[in-house]
Amino acid sequence: MAILDKNLSLRNRNKILVGVWEDEDALVDAAHALVDKGIHIHDIYTPYPVHGLDRIIGVKRSKLARVAFLCGLTGLILMVTMIWYMYVIDWPINIGNKPVRFTPSWIPVMFEGTVLCTAYGMGFFFFWRNRMLFAVKNDLLDDRQTDDRLVVAIETVEGMNEAEVVELMKSKGAVETKEFQAVCK
Amino acid sequence: MIHDSLIRERLVTGDKSAADVTRDISRPILNQPSSAWKVGFTLSIVFLAIFGISLFYTLWTGIGVWNINKSVMWGWDITNFVFWVGIGHAGTLISAVLLLFRQKWRMSINRSAEAMTIFAVICAAMFPVFHMGRVWVGYWALPLPNAFGSLWVNYNSPLLWDVFAISTYFSVSLLFWYIGLIPDIATIRDKVKTKTAKYWYNFFAMGWTGSTRTWARYELVSLILAGLSTPLVLSVHTIVSTDFATSVIPGWHTTIFPPYFVAGAIFSGFGMVATLLVVARKVMNYENYITIGHLEAMTKIIMVTGTLVGIAYITEFFIAWYSGVPEEQYAFLNRAFGPYWWAYWSMMSCNLIAPQVFWFKWARTTPWFIFIMSIVVNVGMWFERFVIIVTSLHRDYLPSSWVMYAGSLTEIGLFLGTFGIFFTCFFLFAKFLPVINMAEVKSILRNRE
Repeated sequence: MAILDKNLSLRNRNKILVGVWEDEDALVDAAHALVDKGIHIHDIYTPYPVHGLDRIIGVKRSKLARVAFLCGLTGLILMVTMIWYMYVIDWPINIGNKPVRFTPSWIPVMFEGTVLCTAYGMGFFFFWRNRMLFAVKNDLLDDRQTDDRLVVAIETVEGMNEAEVVELMKSKGAVETKEFQAVCK
Repeated sequence: MIHDSLIRERLVTGDKSAADVTRDISRPILNQPSSAWKVGFTLSIVFLAIFGISLFYTLWTGIGVWNINKSVMWGWDITNFVFWVGIGHAGTLISAVLLLFRQKWRMSINRSAEAMTIFAVICAAMFPVFHMGRVWVGYWALPLPNAFGSLWVNYNSPLLWDVFAISTYFSVSLLFWYIGLIPDIATIRDKVKTKTAKYWYNFFAMGWTGSTRTWARYELVSLILAGLSTPLVLSVHTIVSTDFATSVIPGWHTTIFPPYFVAGAIFSGFGMVATLLVVARKVMNYENYITIGHLEAMTKIIMVTGTLVGIAYITEFFIAWYSGVPEEQYAFLNRAFGPYWWAYWSMMSCNLIAPQVFWFKWARTTPWFIFIMSIVVNVGMWFERFVIIVTSLHRDYLPSSWVMYAGSLTEIGLFLGTFGIFFTCFFLFAKFLPVINMAEVKSILRNRE
C-alpha cells in the first residue's frame, strides 16, 4: 500500500460538486442521505473534527497505531543495542563489581528511547500519509472551510445526474453549492 | 441522534458560534499588539537582559561567581532546574492525561499549558547545562564516539537518565504541541492579509485543509501521543527525583521521592497555569472561553496535589524517626528547626496549609484570589526544592564540612533571568499563535452528550 494518501490532492480529477453547510447535524444527515442514494462522497472538509463522518464516507480505519508500535519496537531495539555495545562489548566499567548485563538501570534510557522513536516515527508517517510537508499548498474549496463552514466534495463520474445531486444537497440544508475544477499543472 | 445536554453546564459561555471563536481567538494575531502586550513584552526583555548579563559574567569569569561550595555543590541552580521542570509538567498533564480521561474542560487551556511546558523546559535546561562550568564540552553528556579511550556515558547514573528524559520530554512535547497547532495555523493562514504572514502561516500549516481523512488520523495520532506522554511525564519527574533518591545523603535517600516529586510537579505546574490564565483571560477578553468553571477545576487539582505533597512531607518526617538512623533524624530536625527553618516553614505554609483555602467555593471562584494563591504555590514549590537541596547538603555525616549557603547575585540574576526567557517566549506565542485551541473549542460549542 502506498503511504501517501492520493485522495487528498484535488488535482487531476473530474469536476467536483461542492456543497457548503453551516450546521454540523444537518451535514451529518445530508452525508447519510447522499451515501444512501449511492453517491460517492469524495471528502468532507470541516474546521473541527466531526466524529463519525469518516465512517459515513467510507474511510478505512487507520493503521497508524500499528506503525507506532513498530516504531517503538525499533526504538527499543536501537537503545538496547546501543547500551549493549557501549557498556558490555566496547568498554565495560566495573562499579563495585556490579553486573553490567541488562541491569534495571538500563530501563530509563530504554524507555525514553522507545517513546522518542514511537512519537517521531508515528509523526513522520502521519505527515507522509496526509500529504503534509512544510509550505505544501493544497486546494481549498471554500475560504471558510477552516473557519466555520463544512464542505462536502463529490467528484462527478460519467452518468451522474449532477442537477439531482445539487438539488439533494440543497434540500438537505446546503447553504451554497458550486463547482470546482482544479487547474492541472 | 445527538442531543444537547440539559444537565451539564456549557464549557464555553456567551453563546458563541464557530465564526465567533475564530474571530475572538485570532484577534490578537490579526491586529496590532495591545498596550498591555507591549508593556509585558518590554518587561520580559528586561529580565531576559538580566539573564544575558548574569550568564555572560558566569561564563567569562567562571563558575566561582556562584556561591556553591564543596558541601553545597547544588544550590540555586539545581533548585531552579527542578522548579522549572516541575512547572513544565502541567502542560502535558492537561493535554495528555485529561485527554485520556475525556475531560473536555481542558480544551480551552491545553494550548497555553503545552506552550508553557516547552518554555519551562527550555528554562530548566539552562541550569544543569551551565552548572557544568565548562559548557563547551556539554556534549560529553551524550553517548558519542570519542577519542578519550572509548569512554562512554554511565548508564547507571540518574544524571544520564535525566539527559535522555528531559530531551525526550522536550522533543515529544514539541511534536504534540505542533501537531495540535496545525489546524489552527491553517485557520490563521486563511485569515491573514499580508504576504509575509501568509507565507509563514502557510509554511507551518503544512497544507492542512480539514479533510475528514486527515482528521480521523489526526485524532488517532493525538490519542497515541497522549498515551505516550502520560507515562513519559511520570518518568521525567521520577528520574529527576532519582537524581536525589539514589544518593546516600540524609534527607535524599528515600523511596517516597518519585510519587512525591510527581505530585509536586503537577501542583507547581497548575500554579503557573493559573497565574498565566487568570491574567490572560482578563487582558485578552477570553472570559467566555476560560470560564470560572475552568479556574475552579484547576484550583481543585491544586488543592488535591498540594495535600498529597503535604502528606509526603509528613511521611518523610515520620519515616526519618521510624528508621532509627541518627543522620536521617538529624537531617529532618535540622530542616524544621535548624538555620534554614524559615525556608522549611515557608514551604509548609505555602504548599500544605495555604491550598486548603480551596475547600471554600468563594476561594475557588474568585479570579484575583486564585492569582494570589497561584503565586503562593509557586513560591512554596521553589522553597521545597531549596529545602530538599540545601538543607540536606549543608550538614551531612561530617560536621567539619558543615557550611551555610546563600545564592550570589549572579545566581539570583540567572533565576530572575529565566523568567525573562519564559515570558518573552510566552508573549511571542500569544502574539503569533492562537492561545486557545480553536478547532477543539469549536467541537464543544454545542454541549454534546
